[in-house]
Amino acid sequence: MNRTHFLAGAAAIIAAALPGLAAAQVQIGAIEILTGPAAAYGIAIKAGLDLALDEINARGVLGGQKIVLTVEDSAGNKDQAINAARKLVGRDKVVLVIGPTLSNEMFAVGPVTNERKIPTVGTSTTAAGITEMGPYIWRTSLPESDVVPVTFKRAQARGVKTIALMYASDDAFSKSGFDVMKASAEKLGITIVTIETFGSKDNDFSAQLTKIKGLKPDAIGISALVEPVSGVVLQARALGIPKETLLLGGNGSNSPKLGEIAGAAADGMLVGSPWFIAKPDAINTAFVTAFKAKYNKDPDQFAAQAYDTMKIVAQTIDRAGAADSEKINAALGKTDFNGVMGPFKFTAGRDPASSDGVVVLEMRGGKFGIAP
Amino acid sequence: MPVWLDDFLWTYQNVVYALGVNGLLALSMYVVLSVGQLSLGQAAFMGLGAYSSALLTVKLHLPFAIVLPASTIAPLLFALAIGTPTLRLSGVYLAIATIGLGEVLRALYINIDFVGGALGISGIPERAGLVSIYGLLILALLGFWLVGRSAIGRAMEAMREDDVAAATMGVNVARYRLGALLTSAVLAGLAGALSAHISSFIGPNEYGFEPAVTILSYALLGGIGSPFAPVIGAWILTLLPEMLRGFADLRLVFNGVIIVLAVLYLPNGILPWAMRRRAA
Repeated sequence: MNRTHFLAGAAAIIAAALPGLAAAQVQIGAIEILTGPAAAYGIAIKAGLDLALDEINARGVLGGQKIVLTVEDSAGNKDQAINAARKLVGRDKVVLVIGPTLSNEMFAVGPVTNERKIPTVGTSTTAAGITEMGPYIWRTSLPESDVVPVTFKRAQARGVKTIALMYASDDAFSKSGFDVMKASAEKLGITIVTIETFGSKDNDFSAQLTKIKGLKPDAIGISALVEPVSGVVLQARALGIPKETLLLGGNGSNSPKLGEIAGAAADGMLVGSPWFIAKPDAINTAFVTAFKAKYNKDPDQFAAQAYDTMKIVAQTIDRAGAADSEKINAALGKTDFNGVMGPFKFTAGRDPASSDGVVVLEMRGGKFGIAP
Repeated sequence: MPVWLDDFLWTYQNVVYALGVNGLLALSMYVVLSVGQLSLGQAAFMGLGAYSSALLTVKLHLPFAIVLPASTIAPLLFALAIGTPTLRLSGVYLAIATIGLGEVLRALYINIDFVGGALGISGIPERAGLVSIYGLLILALLGFWLVGRSAIGRAMEAMREDDVAAATMGVNVARYRLGALLTSAVLAGLAGALSAHISSFIGPNEYGFEPAVTILSYALLGGIGSPFAPVIGAWILTLLPEMLRGFADLRLVFNGVIIVLAVLYLPNGILPWAMRRRAA
């Protein structure tokens, strides 16, 4: 009996794993982190893709064809990401790949899909140099070089003339964010008084912060993931760095966790974000309502970016007129889309063209709000 | 070549390459375990090979035929430097010292901008292929087979069972241990160079504690009775996550259950048999 059950279960799993054989479907693949420590990002992205797909497949593309999305797990591992990409392209014959989740994975997957001329659209890869890998590599996520300058400009408007920069030197994401902060400050003519580094797992930042306190900068820019940023913020206030010293965060600080960990200490901190849940426009409120109805939780930035990307892809397939990688790649360049993140176009370098959608957020009482 | 076969090979190219590279890594673990030492420095040696070879290719544009042998130099030097003092340690102490090496190197990669810092090195051209990977694996297996059948193999086995008794019988324990560590460094360095030249990107966090334990598990699953056993272990552990893709979310659960069952019921590895040796 047990054996029969097992066999029936196995058969069901195999049947579910086989791709649908019905004709007139458009095969698309996605590579996201669905297991392991960074799974939260991939799961949010998958939720955003699935929600958009429901809406798209209600009508279909190319006159009623359904889009079939195969999501492969990369577990945050570059080799598994490559294997997933090769499987999607070589066996599932997808016409386009969405993802992978991390920039490091994209650096490994990009050359593979580019070789096979399969358009690949990153929704969460913000590092420099991603789209330079080849003519088939695109991204819809604003690189930090588009988000950080907006935050810094806002700070300058508030009278910031000198800044101290701090970053986690052992993490690719934090390092590239810092490079952008440094360039933005230099471009805007804000004087950098000092640059201090720490490790992403450090708990004590008092040496760096005491030095910064003595230099009395108008602002402190911090590039790191949210946990160390929260630690820096808490200790900065504890050491008596005054409220008048503005705190500026990069993409890593753009998480509700900042308020949960640092609480009132983070009040007044400015963080740029490509998207904000309380953006009042109709497209965004409809998205947030639909997301809450389907998943019973609030969407985050990654879900929003994925949602827009799926819509952009569907629109592009329609414009290309066929489920053909070459035509889709050409059509992607002519994208003109208005989504939850605002108006969207690609540059000639396959990056997002405008940072008009960027919102500067300010911490108030442990919660983000749109900065006045 | 028919299109479907070409597609099939292209799809599984990375898996096929990874099987060869991980086989070499398993052998680099096998050689230290076979003299009764537990070293967890294989991932660190692999990182040295990967970084040195990637730099030679990307910065100096040297041909792969020179880069590949050159990738063994840095791991060899480090193995020599740490081998002399640490081989007096044994058991868990050597394991801890070699874990330390991995962490020190990770900190170095992160803080040296020339090697890309935390961003790693990207855009490494694909130079390694079936011939270089499997050629080296077959050579290494053949080498271990021949050495294992010789008097050296007997001495190594004696050390593994009881190093004091072996020393009393005239086996130069220190020299064999250093030799094993150097061989291990060379194999891991080559594996690192090959892997860097198949995946186009390397980063500082790929050669830390976790891969060190993965490499150890290749040898534990396969066994160390013969050089083929750890390679089989590596192949199983490399193929499992890919074969279980159909299970989606339950993939890691199945992967873990299979490994636990194997360790419980096959404590000496999947291939526990020792190789035959001619009577002395």
